[in-house]
Amino acid sequence: MIELLERADPAKDLDADRSRLRGKIDERIGISAPLRPAQSRFRRPWLIAVASFAAVVAVAVPVALRTDPPSVFAPNLDGLDAHPGVQAAVPLASGGLQAMDAEGDTIWVMTTLQKLLQKVSAQSGEIEATYPIEARVEGVVVGGGGLWLTSPDNGGEVLRFDPEAGAVDLIIPIGALPGWSNWFGDSLWVGTGEGQVIRISSEGEILSTLPGELIGGEGLGYLWANDPSTDLISSLSDNGQVGELVIPTERGLETMSGSGIRQVAEADGRLFLLDGDHPWGTNLNVYDPASGEFGAFTGLTFGLLDLIEFDGSLWVTSSSDHVLIRIDPRSGEQHRYPLPGKPGGLAVADGALWVTLYHRGALIRLDTGADLIEMGPIVVDDWNRFPHRLLCTGSGESGGPKVILQPSDWIDYGSWSVIQAELSSEGYVVCSNGYLEGETTPQQQAADLEQALSEAGISGPYVLAAAVDGVHAARLFADERDDVAGIVLVDPMPVGYQDFYDDLLPDLAGHPPWLDLDVQVSQSLDGIGDVPLIVIEQDPDSVFQSGPFIDGVGPEAAEAVNTYWQDGLAFYAALSTDSRSVIANGSGLDMVIWDHPDLVIEQILDLVRR
Amino acid sequence: MSERSALELTESPGLRFDHLFESNYNAIYRYCARRLGRSDAEDAAADVFTVAWRRLDDMPEGDARRAWLFGVAHRVVGGQYRSRERRSRLSTRLEQTTQLNDGEREPADDIDTLLTALDGLSRTDQEMLRLSSWDGLTRSEIAHVLGIKENAVDQRLHRARSRLKLRFDHLNNEASSLTQKETPA
Repeated sequence: MIELLERADPAKDLDADRSRLRGKIDERIGISAPLRPAQSRFRRPWLIAVASFAAVVAVAVPVALRTDPPSVFAPNLDGLDAHPGVQAAVPLASGGLQAMDAEGDTIWVMTTLQKLLQKVSAQSGEIEATYPIEARVEGVVVGGGGLWLTSPDNGGEVLRFDPEAGAVDLIIPIGALPGWSNWFGDSLWVGTGEGQVIRISSEGEILSTLPGELIGGEGLGYLWANDPSTDLISSLSDNGQVGELVIPTERGLETMSGSGIRQVAEADGRLFLLDGDHPWGTNLNVYDPASGEFGAFTGLTFGLLDLIEFDGSLWVTSSSDHVLIRIDPRSGEQHRYPLPGKPGGLAVADGALWVTLYHRGALIRLDTGADLIEMGPIVVDDWNRFPHRLLCTGSGESGGPKVILQPSDWIDYGSWSVIQAELSSEGYVVCSNGYLEGETTPQQQAADLEQALSEAGISGPYVLAAAVDGVHAARLFADERDDVAGIVLVDPMPVGYQDFYDDLLPDLAGHPPWLDLDVQVSQSLDGIGDVPLIVIEQDPDSVFQSGPFIDGVGPEAAEAVNTYWQDGLAFYAALSTDSRSVIANGSGLDMVIWDHPDLVIEQILDLVRR
Repeated sequence: MSERSALELTESPGLRFDHLFESNYNAIYRYCARRLGRSDAEDAAADVFTVAWRRLDDMPEGDARRAWLFGVAHRVVGGQYRSRERRSRLSTRLEQTTQLNDGEREPADDIDTLLTALDGLSRTDQEMLRLSSWDGLTRSEIAHVLGIKENAVDQRLHRARSRLKLRFDHLNNEASSLTQKETPA
């Protein structure tokens, strides 16, 4: 009976999608991250360095390299300075969760898992100080002459950090896990997961506890809080008075998430309310206190993460699309600016807008008055098969083939955003094909691409560009088609690499799953004849033949990995009789499409213009 | 209010959490799938680890961590059980999950009968049997998860197995009787 019961286990052969599960956990941890969160929306970055050996080894894994640069390496900021509008790029302690706040010309950034608090001068763009904080800090608030750090440790506590002493000088237990927090009036206001708003004096005394879910930001001279029991959003005055203004959520605001409003900001005398946490949270609601009218700017995009008012405009980051959206508060006119990395939090310091780039481990100062690249006109935004999405931009006035961009499966959908915008600005139609979340297969990717292109009327010829494990879908899509005019494979992952790697280095097999192609399926595919093919390779000297990698896995394993990778590159290059290879010199610790965008654009344009 | 040096804490919470996740994520995912169905398992598992992250200070050292984590999972899943809507969808999802493995089970009739028998037991009995046979928890781990003494685990497990066998035999007898009735003389 016991044996039969064990055999009846319906889940005995089920395996979790490790990467996706970790992403959801990260998202949940990040959801509660208070002011200016910079967390992943759909994909969790890979583990921060956990120990020196593991850290060194971890950088050898392409996935690990490109998600969370371990602490033994400086973040890879290559190419950031060259991005239009970027005036400064500050390397943070690491990629990963960050919380940020600013005052005057000082920015404070906490890298949560690394437990490092950094003080950045907004004038010089230099890191002035780095402090270890032995607590899991998820929120940073400047106010009252000090710095306030919120942490879930010990059941929830607030730490007061003395900038002059460079140390925590006070710990205030709050008895509940902290959420958003704001300095407002003369007090610190901390929302908790228990549906409370706790008001704390600058001396650290808890002055009052009010019911409600604190919303990030402030506007119209108030803080704001959701009241889930009544579906009302109430104002909080700086003297603690509740409900001088009340907004009925159900009748007045369009919310898709069911979790209420996430953030507010004021512009043009009105209150703007960003929908709660939801991948489809595409609404920015507007409340006019003078008329009592409600409205909404809809169709922003996915993965909206942070909202701020600056220089008369509203600014919103999209972590899925890797864009910064500028919205005119009067007309609702939107401009989408691609960013060279996954954007997280926003802050204003020294009269400029600052954005954290999550995977890059960087903080950038953006000149919003500069001639920023725009995503270009949207031709198609098809997410009928959510989480699949096909986003096509560009006027197409230059004619020529349509460019199809296939991201790596484990990187955000928008990782090609800068390249897509640049190619669109050349007058071509450029489409990103991918998934906003969840797991898939190369076969599914290719099938969804074919269907979406067909439904959208985006006909060939096509130039395909695919990164890392996205190359498998590109090969499947191109198989037996006569409308593919060229293919660019960027840092392509060899067929069967996951099994090879896991067999060779079983102790390191706990990496995020890579999208692999079955070897037999690969063998069943024909070559692509004389279709032009360009293989852009990562620089082996900075990855598999680099000192840290060799030290980490040993020279024999390093050589084996490098040989397998190089054989894979040779295999890809042999798919066409008209192929050539290009090495992205110095690449390795980050994605080639991020650290060498100009090289990738140049190669794609070469094929498009043939 | 208390004062504490910023450097007092020596262990890295990130490291502890990462180890906890790496060692247990699949087991917790399966635990959730067995009780909530596959489609809700991932969200529930994410909830479990999120709670674990938040309650990291409560996490014991060593082998007790696994039991502690399952205890968290027990409470998270229990909370979802209490949702009437989810409960009504549960049986359907479990059926769907079960069907996924039809090709690998042998003999299917016995297993189907056993699952039906299991479904007819009290929730306490079901949980005891699942924790033991499906989640692979030890006697002391089950005791920790359910908040009971180890001796009580032995007793309850014995009773649950007995009731399962009785019900299984009863269903088999019923099926046998029906087959005989349907067979032409």
